[in-house]
Amino acid sequence: MTSAYVVGAGQTPFGAFPDASYRSLFRDAYEAALESADGDLSSSDVDEAVIGTLGVGGRQLGLSGPAVTEHVGLSGVPCSRIENACAAGGFAVRQAVQAVQSGMADLVVAGGFEVMTDMSGDLTKYWLGVSGETEWERLTGTTFAGVYAQMASAYMNRYDVDTEPFSRVAVKNHDNGAANPDAHLGFPCSLEDAEGGPAVADPLTLYHCCPTSDGAAVVLVASEAFLEGYDGPAVRVRGVGAASDTVGLADRDTYTGIPASERAANTAYEMADMTPDDVDFGEVHDCFAIAELLAYEDLGFCGRGEAPRLLEAGETDLDGSLPVNPSGGLKSKGHPIGATGTGQVVEVFKQLTGRAGERQVSNAATALTHNVGGSGGAAVVHLFERGAGV
Amino acid sequence: MSTQRILAAGAYVPADRLEAETVRRALGRFDAPGISQVAVPDPDEDTLTMAVEAGIRALETAPIDTETVERLAFATTTPPMDEEDPTPRLVSMLGLESGLETSVHTASTLAGCRALEAALDRSGTALVVASDVPRGAPDTAIEHAAGAGAVAFVCSDVGGHDETRVAGEGAQVLERSTVTSPYPGTRFRRRGEHDTTGLGITAYDRQAFTETVGEALGALAFDFESRPPDATAIQAPDGKRPYRAASAAGIDSASLEGCVTVHDVGDTGAASALLSLAVALENDAETIVLAGYGSGAVATAMVLENTGVTTSLDVGADDEPLRYEEALRRRGTLSSGEPDGGGAYVSIPTWRRSIPQRHRLEVGVCPDCSGLTFPPEGACDECDSLVTFTLEELSRTGTVEAVTTIEQGGAPPEFVDQQARGGAYRSAIVGFDGPGGETVSIPTQVIGALEIGDRVETRIRRLYDQEGVIRYGCKVARVPRS
Repeated sequence: MTSAYVVGAGQTPFGAFPDASYRSLFRDAYEAALESADGDLSSSDVDEAVIGTLGVGGRQLGLSGPAVTEHVGLSGVPCSRIENACAAGGFAVRQAVQAVQSGMADLVVAGGFEVMTDMSGDLTKYWLGVSGETEWERLTGTTFAGVYAQMASAYMNRYDVDTEPFSRVAVKNHDNGAANPDAHLGFPCSLEDAEGGPAVADPLTLYHCCPTSDGAAVVLVASEAFLEGYDGPAVRVRGVGAASDTVGLADRDTYTGIPASERAANTAYEMADMTPDDVDFGEVHDCFAIAELLAYEDLGFCGRGEAPRLLEAGETDLDGSLPVNPSGGLKSKGHPIGATGTGQVVEVFKQLTGRAGERQVSNAATALTHNVGGSGGAAVVHLFERGAGV
Repeated sequence: MSTQRILAAGAYVPADRLEAETVRRALGRFDAPGISQVAVPDPDEDTLTMAVEAGIRALETAPIDTETVERLAFATTTPPMDEEDPTPRLVSMLGLESGLETSVHTASTLAGCRALEAALDRSGTALVVASDVPRGAPDTAIEHAAGAGAVAFVCSDVGGHDETRVAGEGAQVLERSTVTSPYPGTRFRRRGEHDTTGLGITAYDRQAFTETVGEALGALAFDFESRPPDATAIQAPDGKRPYRAASAAGIDSASLEGCVTVHDVGDTGAASALLSLAVALENDAETIVLAGYGSGAVATAMVLENTGVTTSLDVGADDEPLRYEEALRRRGTLSSGEPDGGGAYVSIPTWRRSIPQRHRLEVGVCPDCSGLTFPPEGACDECDSLVTFTLEELSRTGTVEAVTTIEQGGAPPEFVDQQARGGAYRSAIVGFDGPGGETVSIPTQVIGALEIGDRVETRIRRLYDQEGVIRYGCKVARVPRS
């Protein structure tokens, strides 16, 4: 099986852009991805496209993949859309890797986009809500904030912790995001800010919740054959793992972990012949602060119940032993649903090619991305290592 | 006279109260004489959900098996929908047999007594439920008096499973009379309107009530002077009229005082006289006079002889009364309804298929591994086998496994109006008790406060409206019942 490489990756800033369309955002991200490949790539090289989007707003639910690829001149290129809620982008990357590894394509566009700020907050919540379990869970009056808050309550009850670890996630990720010019909420916040923020769904405050954002991100995945004669940077995809689970939280055996994340991580580690100790930094799915704590434990960064200690010790800070979310994560960088998973890979590409600027992780050679759909109905994990041309 | 007897009574009154003095301070007036406070329902309560509460209590305390109930009579002046029979859903919510005969009684506050008469006129076992939540414009006497509550009676002439206890016991009607007299305009609601109103002609209204009820009482072949009743339960649109009517009929007002509910609950419309009857039965009054009244005008009077009725009445009030603005919020006066966005679409055919789970927590039992699956469709939750489940109902009790409070900004659009009217609400995952000591975890909304580890039980409440159709389902409240 041929290896897959990320040979280019780019994104728009994440935020609120009333003057942009989903197509113009995708174009900006696509052009940024081509540019990141140092000019060695063009649209004529693309064999396949996989596009992740939830379709928030319902503006182009059908054929939403070709709707953006034709806009950037990729008409004729096979294109399919991946919908896996907030993990749509991550699964688009996985699909691209599979296309390359199967030998059916040498260069695949894995893209993602979403526009979420051009409608009322209630309409946005409608679209987020239909990504969860709609017939039972949602009809208890919950959106994702409520479901993750239930997980937070169970975690606090099980491990006898308060909300401070959640606030530490917010502080850390805002600090990182403040150094990321593409971040939606690129400003620092204090522990007091996070603890005292308005309650959204107890015990989660506003600072424990990510924003909804507009944005697009594109990753270019290439085969080993493609790399012959290619002089640009390349990051090798060492491992891929994915899993699904029940859409509703109540149907799972645990509320203090996301089993799909753990299964996906184990698959990826096995494929990469790596362990959590081999990971230099991670971009994990912190849609709500509790999710980052669960990710530490599901991904094997620490034992069960030990995530608060990891945070308090600063291990996951930018200068810690295992930096997590140097981009700012969903919490600060933003969460344009379909673009989130591809955006994580954009950050990995920048970090492993030494282009992350102020937030550059020192001596990073390997990285992990972790993208979750809903409250854990789907999860995908990728492992990367610095490769040729870097 | 029929040998039908009332064997059991249940009642439910929402615990929250709005005091007359609170209204007086807010509006500078309070136009419902003789009322000190009124019951105020939660935003997700209506006459159907209150009927379930009263019905469950009556059935639980009755010396009969639920499956022996052959008829259900439901009375209200404020049905949840102007057109659509509520009784099929009430049957399902109460877990009664689907083949039973149902009837709906409405159009005036006499509906409750008429439902009771309908049950007493036929042989067999019947459940009678009267539930009402009158509404008027905020500055009217009708609204100032308006309370909320439901009452239910199990009636039978065939005995129950506890023969020794049932034999000779119950409350039986000895005499009955009905009087009609045309009195238009005293209390009415135009088609399609929410608020009940009247022309407000005080002397005319008073005469309509006193004269009609008085004539019905007078028509009874019963000498109140030589045999004064132990209790008198009279329709109470306010706290004065029942006393006037009783006095006009020569009944000592002292017999009202032990069972009158309007002072602390308010006008409960079609449930009013029957709620007082339930209190009289609980007080073991032996001779009881019952008088119902409906605008139009029509009155029915009865004399009952009581030799023992089991009762389960939940009519108490919370210690902390509502503020006026809280009552207005509950009423929906300060909110604009569901915002843009709507709910996740669950079609009515899809919803209907889930009604046994929504109303009674029906669960699937796997024939391969005996694991429990909720809802009972798809592969077994335990062994993943694609099987045909056998169906059982979970216990209506369980333990809280996870909980959150949904604050402003955290509610999906279909729950925004509920939140605006009732404030932040809780949503939980509850492990419900199943057969064999197993539990099944189900997400559910919460009534009141609770924490992880608390024991809870189900209550039927409104979940949300979609396409104009009210969706009902189980929520939970901490046990024991308040």
